[in-house]
Amino acid sequence: MKTILLLEDLPEIRAWMKDLVLRVFPDGQISESARVHDALELVSAIKFDLALIDLGLPDGSGVAVVEKLRDTQSDCQSVVVTIHDDDDHLFPALQAGAFGYILKEQARELIAEQLQRMAQGEPPLSPSIARRVIAYFAEQTKPQANALPHVSLTERESEVLLRVAKGFTLPEIGVQLGLSRHTIADYVKQIYRKLNVSSRAEAALEAQRLGLFRR
Amino acid sequence: MAIVAAHPATRPARLGLPLQRHPAAVRLALALSVAVLALLATLVASASTEQAVRVLSDALIADDTGAGHFPIEAATRPVSLPDDWMRSRPQLRDPAWYRLRFDAIGARERGGPLGVYIERACANVEVQLNGQRLHAAGRMSDPISMGCERPLLVLLPTALLEERANTLDLRLAGYALEQVASRQRAGGLAAPLIGPYADLHAIHEGAWWLKVTLPQVASATLLLMGLVVLLLGWWVRRESQLIYFGALSIGWALVTARLWWHGSELSNYHAELLLVSCVPIVAFTAVQFLLHYARRRSRPIEVALLSQCAMVPASLLLAGPSRVNMIATSWYMLLVLQVLGAMAFHLWITWHERRREFWAMLALLSVGASMVAIELAAQQRVLDPVWRALPNFAMPLAFLCMGLWLVHQYGRALHEAEHLRASLETRVRDATTVMERSFAQMAELRVEQVTQQERKRIAADLHDDLGAKLLTIVHTSESERISTLAREALEEMRLSVRGLTGKPVKLIDALGDWRAEVVGRLSQTGVEGEWQAPTEDVPQTLSARAYVQTTRILREAVNNIIKHSGASRCSIRCTIDAGDFQLKIQDNGKGIPLELDGRLDRGHGMSSMKHRAKQLQGQCLVESGPGYGTVIRLTIPLEKHTHSG
Repeated sequence: MKTILLLEDLPEIRAWMKDLVLRVFPDGQISESARVHDALELVSAIKFDLALIDLGLPDGSGVAVVEKLRDTQSDCQSVVVTIHDDDDHLFPALQAGAFGYILKEQARELIAEQLQRMAQGEPPLSPSIARRVIAYFAEQTKPQANALPHVSLTERESEVLLRVAKGFTLPEIGVQLGLSRHTIADYVKQIYRKLNVSSRAEAALEAQRLGLFRR
Repeated sequence: MAIVAAHPATRPARLGLPLQRHPAAVRLALALSVAVLALLATLVASASTEQAVRVLSDALIADDTGAGHFPIEAATRPVSLPDDWMRSRPQLRDPAWYRLRFDAIGARERGGPLGVYIERACANVEVQLNGQRLHAAGRMSDPISMGCERPLLVLLPTALLEERANTLDLRLAGYALEQVASRQRAGGLAAPLIGPYADLHAIHEGAWWLKVTLPQVASATLLLMGLVVLLLGWWVRRESQLIYFGALSIGWALVTARLWWHGSELSNYHAELLLVSCVPIVAFTAVQFLLHYARRRSRPIEVALLSQCAMVPASLLLAGPSRVNMIATSWYMLLVLQVLGAMAFHLWITWHERRREFWAMLALLSVGASMVAIELAAQQRVLDPVWRALPNFAMPLAFLCMGLWLVHQYGRALHEAEHLRASLETRVRDATTVMERSFAQMAELRVEQVTQQERKRIAADLHDDLGAKLLTIVHTSESERISTLAREALEEMRLSVRGLTGKPVKLIDALGDWRAEVVGRLSQTGVEGEWQAPTEDVPQTLSARAYVQTTRILREAVNNIIKHSGASRCSIRCTIDAGDFQLKIQDNGKGIPLELDGRLDRGHGMSSMKHRAKQLQGQCLVESGPGYGTVIRLTIPLEKHTHSG
């Protein structure tokens, strides 16, 4: 049995999503919420396996819930379900620890498939997101004054990102590199994790710099 | 001359700078000094060694009775020349007669006329030879014409001369020492010289040059230079020492004018009063100059010096005409001490703040002190009075050097200021340019920020309202067609928003996006896709608008292939050629059916694809026919100036 958090403010869409999630995970236990505030309370109370989180909500951004889940329930998979396909919206959520994203308007079958893939540990990765990740890590590895615990990508991970950025699909990359689909998926998962870890370290450093940790 | 004694020590201090930095000025000063010394030596030598010239040093002296000739009937006594009244007749103030006798053997035969030369006859003299008046000029009663510094040469007509026992009577009018400020102007007579007129004339000319012409030239020069420096200082108040030096120079010129100025309508007492009153003013300017030049100013000292300027004439008035010398001498000593003190202070400051200049200053101070010594010694008759010519000459020269030095410094400061101003101007201009540029950049940035914010707001609104409604339609509509339409509308909206928030897109990135979309969709629908595009060395960028429109065209074409063509294979080839971006999409489907009017089916969106291409100044060609698939060729010009990579 899976416990699932569903954060979505539009009732019709929420109902539709619930229907879809139940189709993918028939024994799922779904907790619904229309607001960030309510979702945060639910996160404090219930342990989730999967969270489907909309970004633009009436009382804030779903990124807050992603962060809380990351901090308190590291086993939970946060998936951003949004109408925004641009990396300006998606990248912060991924940095905050989201495991992947789903565009809402896609056909039911497609979304179901993506959910399934993510449940199996195969998050999606678009060229523009890949480019953002590459740029982010390039910035991180610049010789800087900050003594950040260094998180850097392996050669293979960078290779995968570069190929995604050029428009190759993950299966194609698997063929090109002579790797299995699962291995490629592992690389992508690893990339997401590193992005999150590095972002957190950076945020902590930034906070320190601003004196937030000074008592 | 006590007036000189009040100041000489101040001059050398200022000579220090020019000596150090102006070898030319130093050489000139040295050369002139040597010339003057040589002249003095000749004078002394010629006075003593001239064979034909005799010195008459024995005379009879008698008080004037107003008879107009030597009073034979009155009491006479012998006196040795040169004679000072303070020694021979200290209490008397009337004119005195001197009688000298000399022989002129062979004078008639020798040819040239004889003459009598009197180096000093103070204040004025009348000359009679054998009872005949030969020379009388100027006033003989108060105010007596001042001829103390004017050597006199009188021709002795051969007709009046006897072979032996000629009588030379001199009537001398003058003042007692008590009546004048300086021993220089006290009554007295030098020993006359008798000799050939031509020889005496040469001596007279030299002495005249030294005692009259030189001081006149010096006074005029100092006056002029003082005015120039004063004017300079007037316009640059920060350099206040210039004003004081200018005033000092002018004051000095006026005070020393007494050396050659011989006639005035003022009585002797008033003339002395005026002259002595000027001296503390000169001392005031000297002290102020020294202090200001050392960058030290003192209000109390200034006030004290100024009140002193009032006290001097007051004390002279109180003491009356018969104590002029005593009062003046006392004041002069005091003033000399003040100036010496100021000099010592100036030197002390220089030692601590401008060590580089110190030794030269010290050397010149010593020179100044020796000038004072010479002056005082000459005053007290320890040295031959002829040495007094040295300070008379050296002081103006020192003034001149100092003035030149100050003007030089002023000019240099001016030049530096000019230079500084020029560089400052350049810097200000540069700074202004930078500021203007950054201001323009900031304004641009601000406009961009505001625009960006506004676009983001519109985009958010579109997503929140339109997007949410379209989404609801997508997922709630019973009709698959309507769902699809709504989904497409949503995609269109997104693309529009992207065009709206419009940053240029790198072509290489756009190719990646397109490949991912096209290959992803084709593989989902089971169409075998082949994508060919450059993956390296693509520096071009696309405007947001070109990116969006091309995306739409590509999407439409792929939609057509998936939905209508029934194709099993599709190839997409992207090339960049001569500034154009070319896209060729080819499938092996059944082609697009012709409409009745012979054009391609509009339902396949061909016209909108062409329209979009046209908007980008490009073109979209479609070749199709039943049975042999469809080829779409899209050509879009790339912007030249976007080759930035």
